[in-house]
Amino acid sequence: MKKKSLSVLLVLSLFISIFAGCSKSQPTSGQDNKPAEKSGKITIWAWDPNFNIAIMNEAKARYTKDNPKVEIEIVDMAKADLEQKLHTMLASGVKEGLPDIVLIEDYNAQKYLKSYPGAFADLTGKIDHSKFANYKVGLMTVDGKVYGVPFDSGVSGFFYRKDLLEQAGYKPEDLNNITWDKFIEIGKNVKKATGKAMLGFGLDDGGLMRIMLQSAGQWYFDKNGNVNIANNEALKEAVKTYKAIVDADIIKKTSGWNEWVAAFNKGESASVVTGVWIIGSIKAEASQSGKWAVAPTPRLNVPGSVNASNLGGSSWYVLEGTKGKDIAIDFLNKIYASDNDFYQKILVERGAMGSYMPAATGEAYSKADEFFGGQKVFTDLSNWMKNIPSVDFGLYTYEADAAIMANMPDVYSGKITVEEALKKAEEQLKNQIGK
Amino acid sequence: MQLRKAAKSYERTLDRYGWLFISIAVILLTVFMFYPIVYSLILSTMSSKGIVQKFVGLGNYTKLIKDEMFIKALKNTFVFLIIQVPIMLLLALILAAILNDKTIKFRGLFRTGIFLPAVTSLVAYTILFKMMFSADGFINTGLMRLHIIKQPIPWLMDPFWAKVTVIIAMTWRWTGYNMVFYLSGLQSVPDELYEAAEIDGASKIQQFFHITIPMLKPIIVFTTIMSTIGTLQLFDEPMNLSQGGVTGATTGPGNSLLTLSVYIYNLCFKYMPNFGYAATIAYVIVFIVAILTFIQFKVAGDKE
Repeated sequence: MKKKSLSVLLVLSLFISIFAGCSKSQPTSGQDNKPAEKSGKITIWAWDPNFNIAIMNEAKARYTKDNPKVEIEIVDMAKADLEQKLHTMLASGVKEGLPDIVLIEDYNAQKYLKSYPGAFADLTGKIDHSKFANYKVGLMTVDGKVYGVPFDSGVSGFFYRKDLLEQAGYKPEDLNNITWDKFIEIGKNVKKATGKAMLGFGLDDGGLMRIMLQSAGQWYFDKNGNVNIANNEALKEAVKTYKAIVDADIIKKTSGWNEWVAAFNKGESASVVTGVWIIGSIKAEASQSGKWAVAPTPRLNVPGSVNASNLGGSSWYVLEGTKGKDIAIDFLNKIYASDNDFYQKILVERGAMGSYMPAATGEAYSKADEFFGGQKVFTDLSNWMKNIPSVDFGLYTYEADAAIMANMPDVYSGKITVEEALKKAEEQLKNQIGK
Repeated sequence: MQLRKAAKSYERTLDRYGWLFISIAVILLTVFMFYPIVYSLILSTMSSKGIVQKFVGLGNYTKLIKDEMFIKALKNTFVFLIIQVPIMLLLALILAAILNDKTIKFRGLFRTGIFLPAVTSLVAYTILFKMMFSADGFINTGLMRLHIIKQPIPWLMDPFWAKVTVIIAMTWRWTGYNMVFYLSGLQSVPDELYEAAEIDGASKIQQFFHITIPMLKPIIVFTTIMSTIGTLQLFDEPMNLSQGGVTGATTGPGNSLLTLSVYIYNLCFKYMPNFGYAATIAYVIVFIVAILTFIQFKVAGDKE
């Protein structure tokens, strides 16, 4: 009898120890105080320790100075990891462990908002969205409701090495408001004069294509979200330009971010056309100080294309139903939607250009930058930002990018024409997204 | 009478405890194994946008046939399978046969050296290969210094060379692992066979084909099946070799490194999260593995 009860006890304890391991340990986030008193804890997920995380730390310092009872935890993750984690948790429907604020890339914003209805807090009326760049607000609006707080802009520019282009006989005035055809011509002359490539170029990278597309106010989809690839004149021109750039032999072929940055850091390429966020990486090579300048983005040779565009950029979103939701909104409101000084500081320290319009009149924005030979870089960029055509990225930007880029090797080699490539891409995309 | 009653009750308790003990494993297996298998089958009949799900029946399967990207992924996976697996297994077999020779000095050292890659983490070694095979990387610089090539080879920028890079990387990583299986198999091959063959005047190569390979047949079948399954689930190498694109969405140049597993990942986390469609492809992989394993058993002709 004794033996029996002992063994039952043993089995029981085995069970308990197994299931104890399964039970979730309750995180201590959000004390039971009322949020009105602004005390509690919020968690923020973001990527890039040199940019978003550092900026968030600055925002945290500013907010906790006035609200000492609020604890803010900033979690640094790789972008892919963050997206994977967020997808998994939102799909499982479990609120536990979700952050209060999360950073989402603009291209993906609609995807999250429409795939997980009810997961994000509606911020209409809680944040004054009229103070932000128009095109950014449009990206976070679903059915008239605005869901986020716009953060950095991806306004693009034609960043170039003044010294190298001068050797080829080009003055800064010659580079204003050019077309891509002209850009290629300049590239050929630069290569002739200096032996350097004009661009670091990833053959499978669709970033530049998106810059070209948006400059024409076009996207892979039309206004109603229907696939618009095979008969999209701007896209056709963009793909042709890609091929022309490759054929002109003015590029240094790169694979991946590191090689791409190294191309201009090492002085192997004379220019880079991309978003403003590249400035930090350009400045990382201190020996090139004073040699750089920036001109407006080249435009496509199609009607309606302007010399202003955008690449990337992201925004902050508040999760619905978390304990820290009210603090999170208050935090974003006090710092990201009101603190002009904050925007000046992150611009100077991190080269982060917010899409908060009142900040553009601040002194940091009108400062001459020695690295760019005394050019008022941010004044220029914020002027171009106003001209960026607003496009709806829709839900399937990455699907479309992959569908097109998958056919590019055959376009480069001349195996198929641009029209054929786009037709194939359109068919593939339509099947994939079911439209 | 008394005895029988006692025996019966003993039997009952035995049963009860038996069930109790086994129940832990059964419950865990049900929760973490059977439930997901059944659930993913149900999921494969849904088309989803995140949590917005729609029942489509066999719609996902018909979509699959027309999905160029899926076909591309399938083709890529089979290219890796058909080219990489035979190269690797043959190499492993040859190495095993050589290193089994007792007259070779420092055998242990060579064995360890060749097995060592199998210990490294998949991600770590892939990133190392990415660095070595970059445009100005170690391999290109080395080959150019040796005047073997004039122009740098566009390892990771050209669809063809990207595949070659993956095949080289995988062969480096897995050859030693398979060699160990063959080595252990060779221990059970009696030396007398080789001695007899030698007396009969068979060369080393004849011995390899007429003794080593037939004697290792069950192990060759085993490693072939394991490598087939491994290749069909290929994920880490293409994912990491193609990662770090500036803003790109393809896996490798022109999607040349897109494998089925990477496509599943993309469908869940990179594109609009369509877990239903991803589950469909997971089932297709299971199906292919089953067919290939069946064929391999048949071809090998083992009756057991």
